[in-house]
Amino acid sequence: MQALQEQARKLLEDQTVKVVIGYAPGSDEERARALFVRTPQQAEQLIFDQRCRQNLATYLLKPEVKALGRPAVVAGVATLRTILQYAVENQLQDQAVVALAVDGNGQVTTLSTFSQIEEYLATCPRGLTPEQEQELARIEQMSREERWAFWSQQLSRCLKCYACRAACPLCYCARCITEVNQPQWIPVAADPFGNLEWNVVRAMHLAGRCVDCGSCREACPEDIPIDLLNRLLARETLTHFGAAPGYSLRREYALAVFRPDDKEDFIR
Amino acid sequence: MAESAVVEAANRTAATSAFEPRIVAFVCNWCTYAGADLTGTSRIRYATNVRVLRLPCTGRIDFMLILQAFGQGADGVMVSGCHPGDCHYTAGNFHARRRWIVFRELLDFLGVDVRRICFSWVSAAEGAKWADLVNQFVQEIRALGPYREFPRRLPQLKPAEVC
Amino acid sequence: MPRIGVFVCHCGENIAGTVDPAAVAEAAARFPGVVHSVHYTYMCSEPGQNLIKEAIREKRLTGVVVAACSPRMHEPTFRRACAEAGLNPYLCEMANLREHCSWVHEKVPATTQKAIDLVRIQVEKVKRNRPLYPIKVPVTKRAMVLGGGIAGIQAALDIANAGHKVILVEREPSIGGHMAQLSETFPTLDCSQCILTPRMVEVAQHPNITLYTYSELESLSGFVGNFKARIRKKARSIDEKLCTGCGVCMQKCPTKKIPSEFNAGLGMRPAIYVPFPQAVPNKPVIDRANCVFFQKGRCRVCEKFCPTKAIRFDQQDEIIEVDVGAVVVATGYTVKPTSFFPEYGYGECPDVITGLHFERLASASGPTGGVIRRPSDGRIPETVVFIACAGSRDPAKGISYCSKICCMYTAKHAMLYRHKVPQGRAYVFYMDIRAGGKMYEEFVRRAIEEDQVNYVRGRVARIYERDGRLVVCGVDTLLNGRPVELEADLVVLATAMVAHEDAETLAQKLKVSYDTDRFLSEAHPKLRPVEMNTAGIFVAGACQAPKDIPEAVAQASGAASKVAGLFSQDELTREPVVAVVNRAPPPIWSTCVGCFLCESACAYQAIEREEIRTRDGQLIKTVARVNPGLCQGCGTCVALCRSRSIDLQGFTNEQIFAEVLAL
Repeated sequence: MQALQEQARKLLEDQTVKVVIGYAPGSDEERARALFVRTPQQAEQLIFDQRCRQNLATYLLKPEVKALGRPAVVAGVATLRTILQYAVENQLQDQAVVALAVDGNGQVTTLSTFSQIEEYLATCPRGLTPEQEQELARIEQMSREERWAFWSQQLSRCLKCYACRAACPLCYCARCITEVNQPQWIPVAADPFGNLEWNVVRAMHLAGRCVDCGSCREACPEDIPIDLLNRLLARETLTHFGAAPGYSLRREYALAVFRPDDKEDFIR
Repeated sequence: MAESAVVEAANRTAATSAFEPRIVAFVCNWCTYAGADLTGTSRIRYATNVRVLRLPCTGRIDFMLILQAFGQGADGVMVSGCHPGDCHYTAGNFHARRRWIVFRELLDFLGVDVRRICFSWVSAAEGAKWADLVNQFVQEIRALGPYREFPRRLPQLKPAEVC
Repeated sequence: MPRIGVFVCHCGENIAGTVDPAAVAEAAARFPGVVHSVHYTYMCSEPGQNLIKEAIREKRLTGVVVAACSPRMHEPTFRRACAEAGLNPYLCEMANLREHCSWVHEKVPATTQKAIDLVRIQVEKVKRNRPLYPIKVPVTKRAMVLGGGIAGIQAALDIANAGHKVILVEREPSIGGHMAQLSETFPTLDCSQCILTPRMVEVAQHPNITLYTYSELESLSGFVGNFKARIRKKARSIDEKLCTGCGVCMQKCPTKKIPSEFNAGLGMRPAIYVPFPQAVPNKPVIDRANCVFFQKGRCRVCEKFCPTKAIRFDQQDEIIEVDVGAVVVATGYTVKPTSFFPEYGYGECPDVITGLHFERLASASGPTGGVIRRPSDGRIPETVVFIACAGSRDPAKGISYCSKICCMYTAKHAMLYRHKVPQGRAYVFYMDIRAGGKMYEEFVRRAIEEDQVNYVRGRVARIYERDGRLVVCGVDTLLNGRPVELEADLVVLATAMVAHEDAETLAQKLKVSYDTDRFLSEAHPKLRPVEMNTAGIFVAGACQAPKDIPEAVAQASGAASKVAGLFSQDELTREPVVAVVNRAPPPIWSTCVGCFLCESACAYQAIEREEIRTRDGQLIKTVARVNPGLCQGCGTCVALCRSRSIDLQGFTNEQIFAEVLAL
């Protein structure tokens, strides 16, 4: 934590950045909230521990934040991946953002360019953790009827509040598909069809792009395990197509490229 | 109109003792639609349950259309296009294939009955294959029964009339 | 408010025999938005079309649904009728009640119900159709022909004679291709060069043709009517304007022992050379890889002796950029070498040769002056064995197709040998005799009956050398598979006709399709043999598939006529079924967020980046834009776009969605 505060203070002192986006304690011991540090003195409020789960990259594309000037952002692996995915999707210019990468031991690395971020990420372990694998396996082992019962029950609690969309950094479309009413793809009301459609669309639009930050699950007021859908597709796109979003600057969105010999076993 | 179509279908099902599946087919213009035309020119008979929707290419087929079809009361959906390598637009079916691989995994994980979606490659020369495919799929859906558990799109949310 | 007209066709008994048209029309009349619904026996007939036109005018229809046969059959017909009545043709849709309904179902109520559903689906779509107008694209009336063989020459002449400019690009130092290497052509035994060279001269002298020899295509960009080609004119090392073609340089060049490509390696040429005496242009080229000056820095004898001082050692490759409206690909073929056949000696025996080698031996201007001699010792062979289907029709060797010309030229070779060496014996080992062209069968019969060529039906398993002769081990299947062993002095293999090694690279440069054998793919195997799926690029000759000279010439003229058709207008009209990225007034400009994942997906590279700037040049955002000249209307980008900022005219999201909801 100290190293982080130190580095933030330095960046603000020599005006390399105009704002440091990081975490401060939240409303209770289990929560942290985002903090926008503008002066070197404020840097001592920055924390970094297991409470700091929100993906701060969400703020990087907001016009209000861009207006503050060049930012630095406190970044775990997911946030770094988000920055690279933004680069691939033309949402950020190189060197527009400084990443303060913090690892599990609290060590801070300052990364100023996309290539530096790419190199750093090459050293990080990737793939699902055993707990995450287990969570997916538990559902996959159910019968189809059990799975349908499970998800019908879960999705029935969806309020269509779109908090998941707000929290996800890769949901940055100026006009979301939910807002299109000619035609109305996703019904507005929180009815069974609309909830299913929304969650399917969200998962599909993030397939091959999701950086597994878990912010969607954190944000959901009903604690519906929607991150499982994203994680499933992240695993599938990796297995079938080698998709590793956010780890590379190569433009290779899994659903926009193809190999003539992509394999499947269900097309008649 | 959509509402009365649903009601009509329900009435039909109630009237006859046998369940008649309602199948929607999204097909590409250059291969499968032409193949289905060939089935017609060859006068090969097949089941009446399918309604074919024509699209320029399988690449155009949005996965949401499949969900909308089920939401409208379809019991089965067919999605068909050119064989890989033969796409009229060079690569549309390759993109579609990737999309279907991902979409089908997601649906299966959610517990949606993916046996009710039939993906296929049918070329403009495969009139017989189209007929066989329809007949087989209708039989499969008949055995599975109506897809009652899938949530219906509420009628009052249909698109507004265009001036 | 929509005012839709529905017209249900009986198609005689074709539809009415199984579907009840009156019931369909009656049900359609009750669909919301339908103000006119009738049925008639033959909608495509003139009275039928008049029904539509009158209804459009009298009922002020805003959309038309014709419930009849397949749109693949009559959509243009009905769209034209609507246009003639003043309704935009894209406001007309067809419901397929025939191929998809009446012809495939029994006469039961479910069939009529299906017909009603199909009509309802199209009514819901057409209510959301918008008027569309054809896209006009200017056309550059200059064609580029790649390849200067007989097909390329024919195409270039035809296009030039039609009054258009042509650029002919050939990578060898001279045009003429393989036909220039042939001695005589079947079935007339015309001297090949005698019929070819007048055409070659015509190409060189034609005012509309610009000839670039010793040149290759570097890159091609753009789209039909508007291609930009970059041609690499390789350095000949001579100034073509000064060179008179006197040939002194070739005589004086000290390096004389380079295997001549034109003579298929059987003869020699110097380092500064013209490939053959009748070459067009008749200007030499310095083979820098073998020239003493370029390799070691010495010599320069040619420069010393050139009377017009035309040698230019410092000449560089030149890149020439041209705008063309159409491209004809006529890059031809090559043949498999003898080294492809381990069973026939791995190519190490000089007396086992290919058909092309034999052509050079038989040719009066060849390395042996037209005398058939064994390459090993120059003796005239007493027994020659010809092996047909060497490599072709052999999946084990990776060539499953038939090379088409070998049966004919094998017969020709055998005949020529018998004419030149009357006491010699000629044997042909064959699988089938394919002589399907005009006067072809008669030609082969002549070889067998008049020239006493011995045809043995069977394959040759092995050839090996013994005491200076070649032992040919074959079999005669017409004598129950009896083994046949012959001692030959010369063996000629009719090796498979294959695409060039770099055919794939060229196809990728042009963005055209090709098959697993690297032959270029035509748009339709039956009905569109000279067009390709890439608009504006046409194909002719053996680069598309093995074929003989008359077929190559016919195909070349066919390609030329397509080019002339393309150039007959100043503007090209394209179907407006293209994708469009939405635009809105400021401050939104477009809902597109500029992620350009659509750009990655487009197979035609039709998506461009458009920078939206303030008046003083500040960048606001970069959004996608579709080039309507390139977009083919597949809609892959539409299904891909997360924010639904791109849509496909003619198959918009609204229209398809409405179709689904009409179920």
